Amino acid sequence: MEFIDNIRNAGTTIQAIAVSIGGLLGVFATLAFFFLMILLADRFSKNR
Amino acid sequence: MQDVFIGFTSITWKMLVMYGIGGILIWLAIKKQYEPMLLLPIGFGSILVNLPLSIAWEHDGIPGFLRILYEAGIANELFPILIFIAVGAMIDFGPLFRNPLMIFFGAAAQFGIFATMIVATLLGFDLKTAASIGIIGAADGPTAIYVANKFAKDYLAPISVAAYSYMSLVPIIQPPVIRLLTTKQERSIHMPLHEKQSPQWLKILFPIVVTMTSGIVAPISVPLVGSLMFGNLIRESGVVERLSQVAQNELAYLVTLLLGICIGGSMSAEKFLNVDTLLILAMGLVAFIFDTAGGVLFAKLVNLFLSKEKKINPMIGACGISAFPMSARVIQKMANDEERGNIILMQAIGANVSGQLGSIIAGGLVLALVPLIIG
Repeated sequence: MEFIDNIRNAGTTIQAIAVSIGGLLGVFATLAFFFLMILLADRFSKNR
Repeated sequence: MQDVFIGFTSITWKMLVMYGIGGILIWLAIKKQYEPMLLLPIGFGSILVNLPLSIAWEHDGIPGFLRILYEAGIANELFPILIFIAVGAMIDFGPLFRNPLMIFFGAAAQFGIFATMIVATLLGFDLKTAASIGIIGAADGPTAIYVANKFAKDYLAPISVAAYSYMSLVPIIQPPVIRLLTTKQERSIHMPLHEKQSPQWLKILFPIVVTMTSGIVAPISVPLVGSLMFGNLIRESGVVERLSQVAQNELAYLVTLLLGICIGGSMSAEKFLNVDTLLILAMGLVAFIFDTAGGVLFAKLVNLFLSKEKKINPMIGACGISAFPMSARVIQKMANDEERGNIILMQAIGANVSGQLGSIIAGGLVLALVPLIIG
């Protein structure tokens, strides 16, 4: 929480960088989850 | 007597400029066929709203038809959501299921959103406006409208125009960026085609899981992701073919028509003609360039870890933007131009549909993170 408070008190560009890092990581992580889901589904359908 | 000529006497130079801009948009739609379904109504709407007294928007305090439509469909975000249902019904995730690795390009090519957001803050925009400008890089009109409507209503018109205009200019924007970042040898890489069929249950389960996951990761993204995936579930369920066809055709065309004229209707000279509009249009281009570069460079990075026969044609990375299927077509054409008979269309489409997923997830994350950071 202290980290978020620090960013809240930072300049707009630093805030934008923080949103960018969080956003990109979030998109990659979410799509990685879908990737795993597709791989698992593929394995499962092969085994049936 | 003055009232008789009020139409002539109330014309300002700004209105004349807006007629010119409307005319250019209509010309681009008809002559160049750049996103005609949107640029045509946007162009005409921008002329309508800038006619003397702006009767189509409001007169004597009574809302005109453009304002009524705007408040019924844009101000409450209904039209973008309906468009998403239609788009969802059009998406076939099959090519992605056959090439699941392509999903990561849908993430990498969102780089433009965030890079442009940073640039926008350096130019003096506040974080919410910068985020809305960055979202032009989603290459996804409804997402851009949705985010701009939440964060920067005053800039909705230039952001929408930029988003749709640059989407139509993908065949012009992407090739030079790709050529700059790749060698001929890289552009000639062949990729094996996977012919396997995805199980039907995966096609049905996928939209449900995507909606639930997105709803947990970024609850604010549910209207965006949920409507897209609802449309996709209608398509893939196989039991409501007529609904799927209605969503893909009647719903898509009708809402696109209304959306276009509403955006045009929001382009009043006072709001549109300013330095910020020019900056937004310029940054929209920057966003598309960064998107393309992000996708291509990510593909080159991935190639460092792949064996020679599994290497990815880095042009595929550029398809990670949401402009579907235009980007995939552009890349296939480039691959064929480099080496006749090099077919990478299915992989390109896989990356392209991932871009549609990536863009709405990025939009949802921006909607969630910006308020968190601002506090």
